[in-house]
Amino acid sequence: MIEPLSKAEPPGSLPSQRRRTSGSDTSISSNDFFDFSRTDSRRSFLLLALGAALGLAIAGYGLFTAKGTSTTRLPPEDIALVNQKPIYRSDFVIQTQNLYSVPFEQTTRPQRRKVLDDMINEELMVQRGIEVDLPGYDPDVRTALVNGVELQMYADVLAQAPTEEQLEAYYDAHRAKYSSIGVMRMRDLMLNIRPDEAAPQRSERARKLVAELRNGASLDDAFMQLNGLRDSGALMQSGKPDLGDIFDFAAQAKLTPKVFAVVNQLPAGQVSDPIDDTDGIHIEVVTERKAPKAQDFEAVRMRVWSDIKTEAQDRIRNATYRYLRSKAEILASVAY
Amino acid sequence: MVRFGLASVAVMVLGIAIYQLIHVSGIEARLVRALPAEIDRDPKLKKYARSVAPAVYSEHCAACHGATLQGNHSNGAPNLADKVWLYGTGSISDIEATILYGIRSGHPKAHNLTDMPAFGRNGQLTQQDVQDVVEYILKISGQRSNNISAERGQAIYAGAGVCYDCHGSDALGVSDYGTPALIGRDGDWLYGGDRNTLYKTVYDGRHGLCPAWIGKLSFVQIRALAVFLHEGSHHD
Repeated sequence: MIEPLSKAEPPGSLPSQRRRTSGSDTSISSNDFFDFSRTDSRRSFLLLALGAALGLAIAGYGLFTAKGTSTTRLPPEDIALVNQKPIYRSDFVIQTQNLYSVPFEQTTRPQRRKVLDDMINEELMVQRGIEVDLPGYDPDVRTALVNGVELQMYADVLAQAPTEEQLEAYYDAHRAKYSSIGVMRMRDLMLNIRPDEAAPQRSERARKLVAELRNGASLDDAFMQLNGLRDSGALMQSGKPDLGDIFDFAAQAKLTPKVFAVVNQLPAGQVSDPIDDTDGIHIEVVTERKAPKAQDFEAVRMRVWSDIKTEAQDRIRNATYRYLRSKAEILASVAY
Repeated sequence: MVRFGLASVAVMVLGIAIYQLIHVSGIEARLVRALPAEIDRDPKLKKYARSVAPAVYSEHCAACHGATLQGNHSNGAPNLADKVWLYGTGSISDIEATILYGIRSGHPKAHNLTDMPAFGRNGQLTQQDVQDVVEYILKISGQRSNNISAERGQAIYAGAGVCYDCHGSDALGVSDYGTPALIGRDGDWLYGGDRNTLYKTVYDGRHGLCPAWIGKLSFVQIRALAVFLHEGSHHD
């Protein structure tokens, strides 16, 4: 007996060809499911769904366990999260031990609760302070913030101790800084202007006066008046010439750079050549002089130490300002 | 059939990976969350800490403290394998606090109450004073010393040197300050206990540092390290 072919099947088609044409046939076997040489929409859909579910699971795990993004569970390193701000478990343990002066294991639950409450309250108050913009108007908070940020900036500098080699190298490179302060007694004289005197004549008069002073002429009022000399005013006290000791740095601050450069080289008892400066002709008379003396490294070691640290802090502060300014949008008035 | 086998293996590998992920993150969380005393009683946590810590120690700590925790006199890094701890009692939480915030690291929470002043260099003590104090330390630490000089040193220790203020009048050190004991050290000194090294220590001072590792290491690594060091120093 011959089995009749169905109407839909062309005569002579093979069984495998028949299977291929019935892709959506629900009676497919498990062997067919894993036959990747054939198209199978059910398998495709299943794998797609599996992949999507796996992707979502991984993304969800990452999203909800990443630091700072967890909203539903407490990260293990934290004892509390206050508006997503962590209070570290280790800080809690240390604070509890410090407060009760016993190992953490020996503290009671109420004691721990109190510490935790205190830490949460503190965090809440800090957050409230930021919320109401305390740093925006409270000078104490602003100062504390600035000090805190500076300390953070300087942390590395403060923590590191310069080595002996660094100290000595710095000292060698800045020897001029480590000298005793020089002291002098001096007069800064100027030639009075005479209307009938031309510039070359005034210069000639200055040269003659210098020669007279170097020959021992006394700088009394009569001599000054006769020769048209006066104290410049730079070193006057109560309208009279300051005849006391003047530190080098004070003289430097009061005299013009050109004049001080000459004075700084004069030994005691010497009179300078005339100095033609912008305000007129100066003659410098130095009566006493204790020149700065270089100090021994051992004597200034602590100053060197402190100077190294200060310089390093300055560098970091300036770099930080530059960086912050480069990131900031600053609108400043030009009218100030 | 082969394909079915491959797919099964893939599913198994994926399953193991997911299990490992959950298991590891679970044990990491337990390690960080556990109270220090609980860790001591939990072999699994200790085992996990031991599996994590050595690599972290080798990478971040061994350069100063030595590969075998033995410390280093040249930089004053303390021996971590003995029972002597400068700060606290050597409990897991004390060690953890030091790892987290460091010593004179610049972190606001670091141990930073004091350091060893340069008594000689600062002019607080004369060279003879420093020498006398050194003889006194040699004497109380059980080393050969000059008795007459040591007697003078004892007076300086309790007087002009103000050494007692940090090291204690019993010279046993004060863990709040991190100042070391000067007696009973059994040769275990931070920078060395010989006459010349002690002289340099008193004359020039010391300024030991340990970095703050918070933010550089994970909390799991820090806790594991604390457990590892605690075990290393409390073995018998």
